[in-house]
Amino acid sequence: MNNSTLTPEQSLLLITKTIEETKERFKENGHILVFWGVLILIVIGSQFILSVLELYKFTMYPVYLYPLVGGVYMIYIWIKEKKKNKPKTMIGNLLGNIGWIIGMNLLTMGFFCSGQLGEAMAPVFIILLAFMSIVCGLSINFKPLTIGGILVNLIGLGTFFLDRDYHGFSMMLGAVVGLIIPGILLNYARRKENV
Amino acid sequence: MPEEKKMFEELDPILHSQLRLSIVSILMSVDEANFNFIKDETQATSGNLSIQIKKLKDAGYIEVKKTFKNNYPNTSLSITRKGIEAFENYVNNLKNYINPK
Repeated sequence: MNNSTLTPEQSLLLITKTIEETKERFKENGHILVFWGVLILIVIGSQFILSVLELYKFTMYPVYLYPLVGGVYMIYIWIKEKKKNKPKTMIGNLLGNIGWIIGMNLLTMGFFCSGQLGEAMAPVFIILLAFMSIVCGLSINFKPLTIGGILVNLIGLGTFFLDRDYHGFSMMLGAVVGLIIPGILLNYARRKENV
Repeated sequence: MPEEKKMFEELDPILHSQLRLSIVSILMSVDEANFNFIKDETQATSGNLSIQIKKLKDAGYIEVKKTFKNNYPNTSLSITRKGIEAFENYVNNLKNYINPK
């Protein structure tokens, strides 16, 4: 690129093209959503299998996968992103901070407040998950994620009225509707744009 | 030609250069970007880019922060309030030239 002056039309075209290209480059991709969705399915699914096998004293162990696998993976992603020349964007910072804050709250509630939350734990978890999906969907202007988030929000509210035995299924359904499906669609949309 | 010259007189000369306009457009899309990212995006040479960044900095349109990242120098750039206003005026002037009322 040189320092030549441009006509007004060329200048406007350059501005539009540069801003669009920069924004496109930093659209979020869906692999983190899919990762968390699958992790939730694995944890809840394992707890269900352990309950069916009547191994009740082990049902808490799968929950440790959240900090061990999820936490380690997020730290790995964070370090990887820091090494890149990726510029800071307002939406990127906002989503990153919301993710960390909600994630830490979910972990803290899961490990230290489960007694206090009682039967409300699963619905509260699902609603927080829905909040994250809706905010992310609206911020990156991706309708499947926003719609998925709204559906998860409804699932969360509905879970308050369900028997505790079905709370695990609600969480699994929430993970599929609010994370896995929008994540796959987001990855698909990104791949299509890059063709 | 003289008419064309007159037409462009009102456009901000600092922004009315391909490379400087690209730098400012990139910085309008992000909060902060480093030198290497802008170099990759604009495909400009380091020397030329440094000169244009200095001109933008001297005009008060961008802020340049020099730090160290993993023991390597890291130059971060961000647009200033003055830069945003200049860019918005520039775009409005361009629109007026293209679609005069």
